[in-house]
Amino acid sequence: MRWSGIVAACCAALTLTPPSFASAPSALPPYTPAYEPTTVDERGMWMEADERERLLRDSPLRIREGGLERYVREVLCREVGDDRCKGVRVYVMEIPAFNASMMANGCMEVWSGLLLRARSEAELAAVLGHEFGHFELRHTLMGFKAKRSATDVMAWVDVLGGITNRDMSSANVSLVGSLYRFNRAQETEADLLGFKYMAASGYPAKAASEVWQQRMAEDDATALGRGLKPRRNYTSGFFDTHPTDLKRAEYLAKAAAALPADGDARVEQYRAAIAPYLSRMLAAQIKMNDFGGTDFILNSLASSGGWSGELLFARAELYRTRGNPRDLQMASLWYRDAKAAGYVAPELDRNLGLALLRNGQTEDARKSLGAYLVARPEAPDAKMIQALLAK
Amino acid sequence: MKGGLIVRAAVFAALVALSMPGIAQERTGSKTGFTLQPGTARIVLMRPTIRVGAQSTGGMPEPNADWTRQARENLTRALRAAQERLGNQVIEYDEGASGEGQIATEYGQLFGAVADSVIEYQFFVGNRLPTKKRKDSFEWTLGRGIGELRSLTGADYALFININDEYGSTGRKVLQLVALMGGVAVTSGVHVGHAGLVDLKTGELVWLNADAAMGGDVRTAEGAEKRVAQLLEGFPGRPSEKTIGGQ
Amino acid sequence: MKTKRVATLIAVSVAANAAIAAHANSLVAPGAHTGIANSKLSANSQGEWNRLSRVDGKNVEVWTLDGDALNKVSFYGGIANGMPLLREPDKKRHPLPKVSGTMLMTDIPALLETTYRSLGIVNQMEIGEQSPAILGGRKAIRFTYTLTRAADQVRRKGEGIGTLVDGKLYLVTYEAPALHFFDKDIERYRQLAASLAL
Repeated sequence: MRWSGIVAACCAALTLTPPSFASAPSALPPYTPAYEPTTVDERGMWMEADERERLLRDSPLRIREGGLERYVREVLCREVGDDRCKGVRVYVMEIPAFNASMMANGCMEVWSGLLLRARSEAELAAVLGHEFGHFELRHTLMGFKAKRSATDVMAWVDVLGGITNRDMSSANVSLVGSLYRFNRAQETEADLLGFKYMAASGYPAKAASEVWQQRMAEDDATALGRGLKPRRNYTSGFFDTHPTDLKRAEYLAKAAAALPADGDARVEQYRAAIAPYLSRMLAAQIKMNDFGGTDFILNSLASSGGWSGELLFARAELYRTRGNPRDLQMASLWYRDAKAAGYVAPELDRNLGLALLRNGQTEDARKSLGAYLVARPEAPDAKMIQALLAK
Repeated sequence: MKGGLIVRAAVFAALVALSMPGIAQERTGSKTGFTLQPGTARIVLMRPTIRVGAQSTGGMPEPNADWTRQARENLTRALRAAQERLGNQVIEYDEGASGEGQIATEYGQLFGAVADSVIEYQFFVGNRLPTKKRKDSFEWTLGRGIGELRSLTGADYALFININDEYGSTGRKVLQLVALMGGVAVTSGVHVGHAGLVDLKTGELVWLNADAAMGGDVRTAEGAEKRVAQLLEGFPGRPSEKTIGGQ
Repeated sequence: MKTKRVATLIAVSVAANAAIAAHANSLVAPGAHTGIANSKLSANSQGEWNRLSRVDGKNVEVWTLDGDALNKVSFYGGIANGMPLLREPDKKRHPLPKVSGTMLMTDIPALLETTYRSLGIVNQMEIGEQSPAILGGRKAIRFTYTLTRAADQVRRKGEGIGTLVDGKLYLVTYEAPALHFFDKDIERYRQLAASLAL
């Protein structure tokens, strides 16, 4: 598909009649797991997928500790059923972007950015189920061709924009970026099948619509934060594999409303599973230079669980990083609130001190930075902090 | 206007391509005075990277597994046959119980970075580094650490092979030329073939063969033999063999 | 007709040759070098380096010995308030973090990290030690870091020195693969860094 064709397709999608979900979704079809690649292209996809899986398995980005991958796989199994999830391998990669994808050989890749943004097991399950749907429908085999035109455009932009970095879509499989992009009809089919999984799973069906609404709202926040008009396009990047639009979230919501409203989203279980990884995910997100989107994520986490010490600290970090005078004032406030809410790490004293110092509140800064040095005399930045105090 | 700029740049680059075949890359470099007498060395073949497919402008390979599986089989067979002609013992890397799989992978990645640098800054004539332009200068190394790997004990050399056999589209070649004109380095990603030999006593890259215009259809046994012959052409100490068809 | 075309080809050839020469990487001879990165940065090199013709940003200059994937010294010369470190591929949709006239020394490594991360060029990056230093006779920060570039997955180490003068950022960094290369050339980089003047 040529670049202009992609744009046209996106615009056309907005005027398509939504699929009919009027009646309750019919039962899931029987599942035939064994699928051997038949055509030359399919064998190609399998080989590429096997090679990529080997890279994922050995990658330093993989989050191996703490059973996170096992948990994510359990969520998938609860969503699509044991028959379907048997034989699926799940890899969680520490990449601060919303993404999940499944390859033709049964390997599923989930990025930590998705885990940061999902607000419940049901929302995570909705995304994983949607990706599994593409796999069950063999869309992964067709999506490969569509990707090509996006990278053509990107390559020209690279050259003419003078980007210094190496062309990342290199010959060897790159760990950043996904391989697949689906067209509108395929997204709808995957939504349809995903809905069937959800209806059988025990999760509330409205989660499917809510996760996309949340994505759009975050994109809006990102745009506003950058001084752009929101609601122009809903991809978080032109080459996102999850183009989402208002109509889609709407029809998913309508369909969910037609089903009985019960179901357990398992919010508490989700929060507990993610908790050990939350601060590192937040720290990485803050470093993406997306003030609006990050602020949105923090507010969203707080609205369901309250402003914990950890969230207050992250908010302070976000504002201190942007660093306008008023930001620094707010940051100082929130560091103090975080401390009051139980965030005890000495790093808080240091960062509070840096915010105060940058804002000209030298005496207060000295107290905080001094407290940090007392607690962490051997810290890797101790000498530098001392030098700042010596001014 | 961006579109117009693309067109003008492409036309200019195409003209340049027509008139300056000298942009073609060199093929082989080796450490000054390095030779390898047949029968004298034990060579470990590191896990080769082999992928065969067509490549679009955006540098995205279209894999074709028939080709890849056949290519791997044929190339392995051809390498084994070439062993005899090389007159040296070539064995495949085996991590065994050493636990060194991860670091072997890192050395493979480092080899890739070094080979890329040799190609980008020494072989690619228009982009040379002045300090590496001097005659007989081929000073590249992976460092002494590789010789200390337990899983490489007893071996004298490590042979690294990458074959990403992407028949670049015209768009891709134009892209590279435009990039060169603009002083922007677009890594080819089209490392169509590297074979590199690392001396495990010193870590030096004593020989590298890289060529953007490799011949031989690796799907066939003959093509694989030809490709291996090209990859190993100029292999130190081996009597040189003319490639079939000279392509 | 034919001679005209040949003449055109020759003319294009000559022009292309000249263009290539103008865009070639250049030799940095031993001795003093001023105006680095189009700024008042200067350094004294004991040995030879190569200066890349590639332009990473308006006030950025890159030197290397074996190629920037193997050893890379980047000079950032007087990046002003409101400007990014590197060229922005998409100013509006994916802006890079900017230099601020009020930033503290400790904000300098943080700016480098956020720049790399938001460009998507690193998979992993961590700032290590931070200590006081002198750059061009002024108080500066010296810091170390580790990073893995997304493009080639090679694990690298880095060291940098930076300061702010009249609200403008001056920064010099050295990055090289952790296996062998970083240690090989660190002293040459440190010699350069010690000779920096503003």
